[in-house]
Amino acid sequence: MADLPKGWLTAEESKEKRQTDIGPPHFEQFLPPVIKKNYGDWKHHERLDAGTMVHEANSGDKVFTVRVASPRILSTITIYEMLDIADKYCDGYIRFTTRNNVEFMTPDEGKVKPLKKELKDKGFTIGGIGPRISNVVHTQGWVHCHGACTDASGLVKAMMDEFYEYFTEKELPAKVRLAVACCVNMCGAVHCSDLAVVAVHRKVPSINHEAVKNICEIPTTIGSCPTRAISPDPAKKSVKIKDEKCMYCGNCFTVCPPIDIHRPDEDGVAIVVGGKIGSARTGPKFSKLAIPFIYNNPPRWPEVIEALKNILDTYAKGARKHERMGEWIERIGWERFFSLTGIEFTYQHIDDFTFMRDTLRTSAAFKM
Amino acid sequence: METAELQDKIFAFVEAAKGKKKLKEKDILKGVSADTGEEKDTVKKAMRAMIDVGKLMYSYGGGASSVEIPSEEYLREKGLIK
Amino acid sequence: MGKKYDTPLLDELEKGPWPSFVTEIKKSATHSNMANDELGLVEKSYRDKRGYWKHGGIVGVLGYGGGVIGRYSALPDEFPGVAHFHTVRINQPSGFFYTTKALREICNIWDKYGSGLTNVHGSTGDLVLLGTTTEALEPIFAEYSSRGWDLGGSGSAMRTPSCCIGAARCEWSNIDAMGICNEMTQRFQDEMHRPAYPYKFKIKVAGCACDCVAAIARSDCSIIGTWKGDIAIDQAAVKDYAGKGMDINAEIVEMCPTSCMSYDGKELSIDNGECSRCMHCITKMTKALKTTGEKGITILIGSKAPIVVGSLLSWVVVPFMKIEPPYDDLYEMISKIIEWWDDNAKPRERIGELIEVKGMRPFLEAIGVPPSPAQVFEPRKDPFFFWSDDDFKK
Repeated sequence: MADLPKGWLTAEESKEKRQTDIGPPHFEQFLPPVIKKNYGDWKHHERLDAGTMVHEANSGDKVFTVRVASPRILSTITIYEMLDIADKYCDGYIRFTTRNNVEFMTPDEGKVKPLKKELKDKGFTIGGIGPRISNVVHTQGWVHCHGACTDASGLVKAMMDEFYEYFTEKELPAKVRLAVACCVNMCGAVHCSDLAVVAVHRKVPSINHEAVKNICEIPTTIGSCPTRAISPDPAKKSVKIKDEKCMYCGNCFTVCPPIDIHRPDEDGVAIVVGGKIGSARTGPKFSKLAIPFIYNNPPRWPEVIEALKNILDTYAKGARKHERMGEWIERIGWERFFSLTGIEFTYQHIDDFTFMRDTLRTSAAFKM
Repeated sequence: METAELQDKIFAFVEAAKGKKKLKEKDILKGVSADTGEEKDTVKKAMRAMIDVGKLMYSYGGGASSVEIPSEEYLREKGLIK
Repeated sequence: MGKKYDTPLLDELEKGPWPSFVTEIKKSATHSNMANDELGLVEKSYRDKRGYWKHGGIVGVLGYGGGVIGRYSALPDEFPGVAHFHTVRINQPSGFFYTTKALREICNIWDKYGSGLTNVHGSTGDLVLLGTTTEALEPIFAEYSSRGWDLGGSGSAMRTPSCCIGAARCEWSNIDAMGICNEMTQRFQDEMHRPAYPYKFKIKVAGCACDCVAAIARSDCSIIGTWKGDIAIDQAAVKDYAGKGMDINAEIVEMCPTSCMSYDGKELSIDNGECSRCMHCITKMTKALKTTGEKGITILIGSKAPIVVGSLLSWVVVPFMKIEPPYDDLYEMISKIIEWWDDNAKPRERIGELIEVKGMRPFLEAIGVPPSPAQVFEPRKDPFFFWSDDDFKK
């Protein structure tokens, strides 16, 4: 064994110390005392501003929460900065949300103002609570994923620079949940977001037959195709793809890497709208296609940002209070959505995959 | 059947599939259980013991997990061979 | 320290007010050669509009088949610091609460063995450590596990369960979401770490139908808290909302999906028998409205992202189930659900897709759940249906 880097456990020490199947530590030890004391006994809460809320318990205890944005990719250095602030104002406790926000909590109202001041002074962005845009759920992108067809972090940064005020201050008719997925695997809730970006391929993959022969299981590869476009190519001991059946999902690439789906010059993103998770008023909804394709244009994707802004502005102007993006569109009708936003309706908008029967119009009543 | 003998059978089963089929844990339990008449749970226990000491290993590829015979590189990294 | 990279494209993403991931990579690059080469590699991706990562390789800790995702750069000679850049998934504590002491310790260990880059948290819920080498995996695992932390799930396995904040700090929660999540995580340890399923299986727990953890869209088994009693009304608080400018008829009564509410300018009333428990009124008038009576869960099954045969939202399977710690009934139900899927699914087939292929009936029969109108929006339209021998015995 070569010399170990400084401070590393040796192989023997590792073997000695390791434990398996212990699971995560019980959350109870990480709860701030006021949370632990009033667990399950909260009366109500109130939003004080875009980034602050107070929860009141039946005991009369209160806990103030200040929420700040994170870029999801965090260096330990930034985490240490957050922890120092949590030590100073929050008795050494900190929490994260399911949308990658950071929450600083204190039972002491007097600490809220100085906490917010220090957060602002250190450059943190406070907000994300209420009928606004909260942090964006997104995927790894070029930063860390082999299958990425765009960069999620860069898109998110450019989007949130544009929508910054909707996080820190300005209200919308209802909350608007954004998401970005760097391919159709969608390791994020893109398929049920108010407004989301998903990267798509548009060309039939190329096949490195020699490598397929050596690396891939042919039946698994054939089975991976949702449109049955892949069949055996016995002569080459490989597979072939029926071009007209391929919808470029890239699942074959996942199970068999020599089938290359990437075309940097032809890859880009689609924009989907109107999805929702909660059951309030109307049921959870999938996001639906608004714009089938915009070219990748890093580092700031200006065409994508412009398109998102157009949709958000049209929604903000037209929706009623408490109406989510998808509810607004259902009320006015999709034909009106396209005319109001000026988005072109194309063949790609008409489902010819699993939802065709549900989505073709079977009524003579529609808006002109 | 003695555990050691069962483990030899398991190893042979995995070796026979090498380069042909990526075996899922379940394929091994089913196959070896059919070959030996041992309960699947017994096979599972024996196989898990092999995985714990690096005689077999979990692998991942093609979007799915499988069980295979470790490479020398893996064994060296785990300090199981010099 | 390694090479200094020019990053004109990424530098553009340090402009503007939103926190920048580029700044984070640069911060880590001040002490990590891996993060430094990551910066160079991502800049190249921005220039060429493509990623430079290879498919996951075969890495992990001894005995486990999950928790570590192998990642190798496609350009190891140009960027040696990211030749290996594996991900370690640390199973988060349910609800994402930490003491600063614990999180600082997690970071200190990571600074020693990895790039210093993290996702807090990843999409499934794990605390994700981004970028380390193969030889660091065993010591990393020993360092964390000896301090009480374990790895999360990956591959064809139970994935790390996740939940909303639940009863810890939310008056709407009908259940102890964090308690349930933690309990299920502990009970499925073997299934998380040793991938033996046809494909991934996710559990998410939400305290109410607001579903702040996206259970209904992102988990094979979606557990959502609900209640059976009335909504209690504090009329004084209703008055207060009206006094502060809320248009109760427009914002509450007319937005009720079942039209079970009325307001005469003084008093709000609810025909509780007709309430579908959607949460709209409760969330908008949290000081005035409160759920009462029996609390429990709805279990919904099947949601997933588009791969392979299209997106699915979870379907109601168990309309109401009363649960109590230590949640044996829930564990047994989930185990039965998984057993049916495991016995019947093809490789890489999620449970939602399997139910589509096999039909809901065999699934419901296998897990012992009777048919209920709660499971459908509407009954079947075509006159094609199956009869089994059992149906003739009745």
